[in-house]
Amino acid sequence: VRPFSDTRRSQCDPSITEAVEAATEPLWRAVAVFRFLALVYVLVAYLLLNQYFARPGWGWVVVGVMAAWTFLVSYLYRTPAGRRSTMVVTDIGVACLAIAVTPLVDDPARIAHGEPTLALVWPVAALLAAAVRWGLPGGLLAAVATSAASLTARGEFAWTTARNIVLLLVTGTVVGYAAGLFRRSQTALVQALRIQAAAGERDRLARSVHDGVLQVLALVQRQAGDLGGVGPELARAAGEQEIALRALVSRPIAALGTSQVDLVTLLSVLESTSLTLARPPDAVLLPEFVARELTAAVVAAADNVTRHAGVGAHTWVLVEDESDRVTVTVRDDGMGIAEGRLAEAASLGRLGVGQSIVGRVRDLGGDVTVESVEGQGTEIEFHVPRLA
Amino acid sequence: VTDPAASDPLRVMVVDDHPMWRDAVAADLSAAGLEVVATAGDGAEAVRRAAAAKPQVVLLDLQLPVLDGVAATSQILQADPSIRVLILSASGEQDDVLQAVKAGATGYLVKSASREELLEAIERVAAGDPVFTPGLAGLVLGEFRRMKSDGEPANEADQLSERETEVLRLVAKGLSYKQIAERLFISHRTVQNHVQNTLRKLQLHNRVELTRYAIERGLDD
Repeated sequence: VRPFSDTRRSQCDPSITEAVEAATEPLWRAVAVFRFLALVYVLVAYLLLNQYFARPGWGWVVVGVMAAWTFLVSYLYRTPAGRRSTMVVTDIGVACLAIAVTPLVDDPARIAHGEPTLALVWPVAALLAAAVRWGLPGGLLAAVATSAASLTARGEFAWTTARNIVLLLVTGTVVGYAAGLFRRSQTALVQALRIQAAAGERDRLARSVHDGVLQVLALVQRQAGDLGGVGPELARAAGEQEIALRALVSRPIAALGTSQVDLVTLLSVLESTSLTLARPPDAVLLPEFVARELTAAVVAAADNVTRHAGVGAHTWVLVEDESDRVTVTVRDDGMGIAEGRLAEAASLGRLGVGQSIVGRVRDLGGDVTVESVEGQGTEIEFHVPRLA
Repeated sequence: VTDPAASDPLRVMVVDDHPMWRDAVAADLSAAGLEVVATAGDGAEAVRRAAAAKPQVVLLDLQLPVLDGVAATSQILQADPSIRVLILSASGEQDDVLQAVKAGATGYLVKSASREELLEAIERVAAGDPVFTPGLAGLVLGEFRRMKSDGEPANEADQLSERETEVLRLVAKGLSYKQIAERLFISHRTVQNHVQNTLRKLQLHNRVELTRYAIERGLDD
């Protein structure tokens, strides 16, 4: 009776993962934009500084490789398939190499002086890619890898390297954490949208069922009785189906995020051609345990009617929400019990309403009264207090 | 409603967007000696034809195209308050039924009701008696309790008397007016009056609410 409880399962639904990955698209574009800007920075800087390098020609080769990698990896990262783990790992590897080759092309004196590496901020693009791909762990690991490469390039400890390492770690941590957070909130959003869509779809279905199927069932019930033969049987069956279907489609969605359930929703399964349910316009919300126990008691009472009051008996169930307590009355139109006999049956057990009815309701802090008017059937009234 | 002559057949209009259903009900009513003066397939058509054909009772489905049943009810009654509207609905859409009754419908019956129940209901509605199913009684009872707990202007006239609540509860528990009269030691007519009063209070409250809403909107604009 909880039609939407299965949405919780969608945590690992592959289609949700897919939708969340699609939503990371702008992050990947930002990585690409950063990478191109960093490349332009490297080009301009090297144009101005290549004369000071030990092997300027090889330096141009390194810059050329970085440019080629910028185009290639940005192209590959356009699709989710291109962003697979091996790609991102290779990206970090290339970034580390770009840092590590500096001593091979630059003047050792410049390096010793603490000048920046040939790659400048370009390797940070790979760090960002790892952070977007794997969140905080990815960002941190990539920061550690590029930091190690920086230390290798320097060969000895320098304060500028220390500063760079701190910046790499901070960037990896912040961007990685933010990307992880983005994924989690995106997942929640996609799930919420799906629940909403499912509810909308159910409403649409309910409307068309109301409009079509229920009408036809009512018509069959109305006209089939005249057909003779199996007609009356058909009419009765159509009537039962109409009530069952109506109860099914008019069932409201349980309030999300609360442990309260609607008592009326639970009781509506009882509705049939021989049981009428009268209810207030709004949902009667009770803690789930209370609602289920009370429903069980009412079902037991209604079963009792079918067993004892005879085949032709009709049952009415009235639900009343009195703010400080909830009252459910089960009444049948059977013979009722003569006054003397009711008094004689001092314990309700004698009426066949034992533990399953009275015990349940007393456990909820409520009470049960039985009233019988001869010729007007028997009434069982359940009162359950609302606990603040 | 004053019946000019008892021998004149009751003038009824049938409104439903399903032709099959509409025709079946119209045929049943004619066979039972009632006069079906008009039929309509949507709410707007119902409002126009009711004004022209002057039925005593309009049998109205709630789920109608163009103009829904609740709006059609209030427009039909606005044009001619002497018309009685009996809601015949398959929907079980609780809120719609309550809204239609607040808008002035005098009775409500589910479509699965038998032919005899329908004929009896039409006669009673034509005579000015409300037709309450136990389901509708439960809704009205709940609506008054909601109004009370919401602390809507505690107007004495807006609340049910103890007797009215008692009668409504018995209706909701499926007792007939006759059984209620016996149980409370009052006359059948008194039971009818109590039920009628509850309906009148609900409709009055609704009109007051609508007016207040209109005034608020008017002042805001």
